[in-house]
Amino acid sequence: MDHSNKKKITRRQFIKGAASAVALPLLGNRLPFYGSLAHAAEEVDLVIAKTGSPAQLLQGAMTPLGGMGRFVKQGQRVVIKANIAWARTPEQACTNNPALLSALIKMCYDAGAKRVAVWDHTCDNYQFTFSRSGLKEAAQKAGADIFSGHGQNSYKKVDVPRGKKLKTAEVLRDVLGGDVFINFPIPKHHFATELSLGMKNLIGVVWDMEQLHKIDLHQCIADINTVRKPNLVVVDAIRILTTNGPKGPGKTEDIGEVIASTDIVAVDAYCAAYFKHSKTGKPFKPEEVRFVKNAFDLGLGQIDLSKVRVKRVSAA
Amino acid sequence: MRRAVQILSFCFLLYLILQTAFPLELRIPVDLYLRLDPFIATITTLAQKEIIPKMLPAFGVLLLVAIFGNFFCGWFCPMGAAIDFFDRIFFREKRRTKDFNDLSLRRLRYGIFIFSLAAGLMTFQVMYLLDPISLVIRTLVITFFPPAVLIFNHLLPWIQTILPQGPFAGSSIPLPLFKVNLLIFIFFILILALGMVRKRFWCRYLCPLGTLFSIFSRLRIFRRSVKEACTQCQKCVRGCPVGAIPKETPQHHRQQDCISCFKCLDCPPGATTFKFIPPSWKTVNGVDLSRRYVLGSLGFGFVSALVIKANPLQTESGLKNNRLIRPPGALPENQFVSVCTGCGKCLKVCPNNALQSTLLEAGLSGLYTPRLVPRIGYCEEFCNFCGRVCPTEAIRPLSIEEKHLTQIGVAHINKTRCIAWDMDKICLVCNEQCSYHAIVGDDKKRPMVKEDKCTGCGICENKCPVDGESAITVYSFGAQKKLKPEPEPSSNKKS
Repeated sequence: MDHSNKKKITRRQFIKGAASAVALPLLGNRLPFYGSLAHAAEEVDLVIAKTGSPAQLLQGAMTPLGGMGRFVKQGQRVVIKANIAWARTPEQACTNNPALLSALIKMCYDAGAKRVAVWDHTCDNYQFTFSRSGLKEAAQKAGADIFSGHGQNSYKKVDVPRGKKLKTAEVLRDVLGGDVFINFPIPKHHFATELSLGMKNLIGVVWDMEQLHKIDLHQCIADINTVRKPNLVVVDAIRILTTNGPKGPGKTEDIGEVIASTDIVAVDAYCAAYFKHSKTGKPFKPEEVRFVKNAFDLGLGQIDLSKVRVKRVSAA
Repeated sequence: MRRAVQILSFCFLLYLILQTAFPLELRIPVDLYLRLDPFIATITTLAQKEIIPKMLPAFGVLLLVAIFGNFFCGWFCPMGAAIDFFDRIFFREKRRTKDFNDLSLRRLRYGIFIFSLAAGLMTFQVMYLLDPISLVIRTLVITFFPPAVLIFNHLLPWIQTILPQGPFAGSSIPLPLFKVNLLIFIFFILILALGMVRKRFWCRYLCPLGTLFSIFSRLRIFRRSVKEACTQCQKCVRGCPVGAIPKETPQHHRQQDCISCFKCLDCPPGATTFKFIPPSWKTVNGVDLSRRYVLGSLGFGFVSALVIKANPLQTESGLKNNRLIRPPGALPENQFVSVCTGCGKCLKVCPNNALQSTLLEAGLSGLYTPRLVPRIGYCEEFCNFCGRVCPTEAIRPLSIEEKHLTQIGVAHINKTRCIAWDMDKICLVCNEQCSYHAIVGDDKKRPMVKEDKCTGCGICENKCPVDGESAITVYSFGAQKKLKPEPEPSSNKKS
């Protein structure tokens, strides 16, 4: 795999990172958003797993974070927000990898979940997207329920107090009320926002998605991420869509990575570099993606990857 | 026993209608009743001047009727079942105080039938108004299905506690919205209400399908026969739902009107049986179709067709209706309205509720025909259901690949309403949703339509976030065009 376009971690950075990984927990967490997790003695915030089958990649990505047991306790209800928005087949990389979803669901059950529910408010007709993407079959075979957000009664109106432009939204009840909320995006090119990454995936928990475009799309993406922060983000970067996104069909690229993190901004900052900016031809810097910058300004996470504890593993 | 069969038949029709939906994988064709309807087959053949293989079973039914008599009306017809049901519930106690000579009324349905034939020849079909199967299905789909869904969705919280954790246990069924529902409902109720005047009023005096069956069952060999033991008690005369037994001579009956309901077998002296006997041409107290009457009906049919045809599609401003978008695969407009029965199957099967019935948007001759209303629903990319369920192939069945290259309309952007053009906002929902790469954004992320790629599916108009009238609208322009295929744009890069 060609690393030349990816962010290289020099030896100096690694030593700095490792040193701060040890020092940071001692100093305590400055970012208020992390308050609830500061007690754990984990050393990483973002894990990138490479090489292996989807199940292996997921295992490799989760272990340094403390395994799924850190996030899912016995008898809890897990809600996974996957990307099943389009009536495309899995090879077209517009929707999630079914094997990876299957592995994710199984991991949740192994950790003791009572029930796992996979949700998405689809753009195309849900019957077609669920069947063509292979995700309905994968989810049900793994023992999870799969739901579509096509009915307005599945939503609850909430305020968005931390939102700069979005003041109120109707959000999926199950997402608001579920014990564990996992965001499960797939990085894609996007005509309007340049890229569709983890935070953009959360648009699919809202009833009136199109209206967010009327208000201010980039800011609304950041705002909607303040409603309920996912406990965990697992990025499906096994194959990504690099042109004609988000619906495709377009050119795809086999990155072969799975990323797990608790920081929704950092994970988007990392994934942005998969794509080349149309104007500069260089990989995207996170600040160049407006909604990532807006989210950082709202204090949702860390945009500077040098300040994030990153770990790379080989999962084979 | 007959009632049981009637109820079963009606329930089977209901089942077929409910199965007219995604994924449409039933072995039995969901438009079975329509395909077996010889009236539809006849008028379609006349209008199209060719026989559609799909409709051949209907002629088979006609053959069966010719031999065994008219068993359809009494046993299988859903309209007959509904009428019998309502007659029994509401009008049971009604007794006519005096008999009246209904000869002229009985002649009416032959007149209507001849009128239909003549008009059909002139490609003005009246199936949409007069065919009972199409009528029943349309009423069920447009009038009764949405309230049923509404009730189901309201009961869903309670059902969820009973039903096992099914795949869509959490979500409601999308509520379909159908226009013109009130008129269709009223028409249906009116037909049922005619039972106030006479039992099975529709069947006796109006129904053209019944008329067709009657004509063919004139020479039936399986029919009622009465022995000399008849005591003239008149029980059969009163009991016959279609009045086929004359008061004066109850041993005889009009074999063409008989619907084989077997009610007259309930004969106190036990004189009545049904058996195979040689056909007889003579009938008693039959309808006298004078030459004048036949020619009059024919003429009326021709003239009406001419009058309708001479009034082309127009709004009061005289402009062509460019918002009349037909489903992909529809025949050219004139042909389309001459074979569409208005059955409502395509409306039901459309997964996005995109197809709506028309009132006058397609002119008088296009009543109850389907049109795409993008703001309500758009044409789904990988769906070709409507063509597959159309019984007369007014909407021809297309493969998914053919459908992707069929242009039913073109989208146009209203730049004064589009928030990207007018207010410099980042939107591009239309471009994001377009399945065919027919909308591109310029460097300022403002959308533009590529006419040679747009299929007119309407997803852009449907998803446009502008309130009320969409900023991007699909307009039709006449015949559906075939687009040129493009080479596959996607390719995979291994890194």
